[in-house]
Amino acid sequence: MKELLKELCLLDGISGDEQRVREYILDKIKGFCEYSVDNLGNIIAFKKGKNKRDKKLMVSAHMDEVGLIVTSVNDDGSLNVDTVGGIETSAIIGKRVFVGEKRISGVVGSAAIHNISKEDRKKAPKLSDLSVDIGAPDKNEALKYVSVGECVTFDSDFTELGDNKIKAKAIDDRFGCAVMIKLIQSELDFDTFFAFLVQEEVGLRGAKAAAYSIAPDAALVIEATTACDIPGAEEEKRVCVQGMGPVVSFMDRSTIYSKELYSLAFEIANEKGILCQTKTMIAGGNDAGAIHTARGGVKTLAVSLPCRYIHSPSSVADMRDLESSYELIKQLVQRI
Amino acid sequence: MDIKKTLIELCSAYGVSGDEFSASDVAKKYLSKYMTKVTVDGFGNVYGDMNFGRKKRILLDAHIDQIGFIINYVTEDGFLKFSPVGGVDTRLLPAQKVYVISPNGDISGVITSVPPHISKGDEKATNIDDLYIDTGLDGDTAKRNIPLGTRAVFCAEPKELLGDRITSPAIDDRAGVVTILRALELVGKDSGYDISVAFSCMEETGESGAKMTSYNAECDLAIAVDVSFANAKGEDKNKCGEMGKGAMIGISPTLSKEMSKALIKLAEKNNIPYQTEVMSGETGTDADAIGVSRSGVMTATVSVPIKYMHTPVEVVSVSDIENSARLIAEFLKDGTI
Repeated sequence: MKELLKELCLLDGISGDEQRVREYILDKIKGFCEYSVDNLGNIIAFKKGKNKRDKKLMVSAHMDEVGLIVTSVNDDGSLNVDTVGGIETSAIIGKRVFVGEKRISGVVGSAAIHNISKEDRKKAPKLSDLSVDIGAPDKNEALKYVSVGECVTFDSDFTELGDNKIKAKAIDDRFGCAVMIKLIQSELDFDTFFAFLVQEEVGLRGAKAAAYSIAPDAALVIEATTACDIPGAEEEKRVCVQGMGPVVSFMDRSTIYSKELYSLAFEIANEKGILCQTKTMIAGGNDAGAIHTARGGVKTLAVSLPCRYIHSPSSVADMRDLESSYELIKQLVQRI
Repeated sequence: MDIKKTLIELCSAYGVSGDEFSASDVAKKYLSKYMTKVTVDGFGNVYGDMNFGRKKRILLDAHIDQIGFIINYVTEDGFLKFSPVGGVDTRLLPAQKVYVISPNGDISGVITSVPPHISKGDEKATNIDDLYIDTGLDGDTAKRNIPLGTRAVFCAEPKELLGDRITSPAIDDRAGVVTILRALELVGKDSGYDISVAFSCMEETGESGAKMTSYNAECDLAIAVDVSFANAKGEDKNKCGEMGKGAMIGISPTLSKEMSKALIKLAEKNNIPYQTEVMSGETGTDADAIGVSRSGVMTATVSVPIKYMHTPVEVVSVSDIENSARLIAEFLKDGTI
């Protein structure tokens, strides 16, 4: 699981530019299922189980990650960018990136701290104060390597931290992709649809199309969610806690989840002794928002990996949660 | 000498103010190629001397330390509370990867990032009091392995960008160190002055090292070689140099007018690209301390323009290092002051 996740996280694929992730996944699931790629770039896979399932189940995860897009080039050769998906400027400033098809190395710079007024130092930098520097001395030189509209991704390695943690970009939601690849490669009791989705970070767009195509009765969304179990956050503000297992939420900003499936998840967790928790804040959202209202409605549940510093180049996850999340999801896929 | 390679090796060594020995050792290794007697003192200052029996002694100084962090508390959960060492830009800290330089080896960590649901509106930048280093270690293990006072640095390997540009932490002021090494190579035995070199520690925390090194050097004149601001998006171009346009020669009430003029004249005469950097008082470099060492030292600054100073992504152009070194070499050869 760790190796699979590592390979997936190191692939670049911001929203609308998921092809490298898609090709990797197709290579992994080939021979284990029937699949097609739809007009948006979603992979829709059908895995035959030992038995037919009474109701159609769609399991989904999204392939895209947050990043930046080049909007224009300045005379001094630096690149102006906009965010793709929800990223705070503090996650971008002073970080390293790769730009465009040629994967040109760059850095995100701003005025040196010495030259910023005392007041401005207390404010978050504006996106318009930042630029990506690839070392080009002027606009002409920059345009030899980069075009407007090209994608910018974080240059961030996959590192183990302490005894149980990993640090990488794009754990949201390559974790879900890794889980689905593993499930497809294993033997399942019942027929299951798996959807690897595009464009989650820019409005749950892939999910809308895929849920229509599959027309499921029930859906299980595999995600990564904010863990704020860090100093300064107390009680419910922590949202969820690493090492305490997958997060099964009753409600977030996009969805009120199926009570029936919510109860089933905790029932299974109890029965099998799998650590499992719920979210203590109504925050965030995911593809469930699009899926649960597809066609005439879909009973939907999300199981998420607790992830610190999500939507940054250095997201941190707990390997114990990877395992317990996989266990719970596997059980749910057999029992929904 | 391969400027790029030397800079990369120097930038890869750690030297947070007050704990410079790793960087000092690398600098000593290089300096020993050009000077016979090279030492590192108990603080981490690197000294070298070269005597030609000239009338005057010049001190070439660059600082060996870099900005970073110092661990001042470990929470029950194993998070490390840190304080900045030198002028750290707090706004860029969230989600930075760092190395904690523990006595038992480097420990990877990530600076925490406060998610939007508990940060107080997005107008407010990150408050350093809210940030910790997350090493993934539990409280007991963290406390056992990371004594208070341990330093941490930005973790980012030096990397080449387009053209001759390099990005790395600690280019401030390893670029100055490389400039001096290259100048020594260029001047060989043709110096008109006896030369002392100091790679001084603790510049970022108040030029402490330069106070010691300039006292010991007992020199008549000095050039402080540091980095200065290259224009970049968000900067005021009237207050910055330009990357790729050569050495920045300092002009200031606190610097020797005679030396500044001589440097400009030599640059013109030898067709060395240069730019001037006018400051209205103290320079914020080791020159401030050196100038008032013992009974006073004529001091100049030659600065290498860099972008994004005091970040993990400082950027420098190798040509600016080469041209700064050429200028200093010409000054040494000239020997008329």
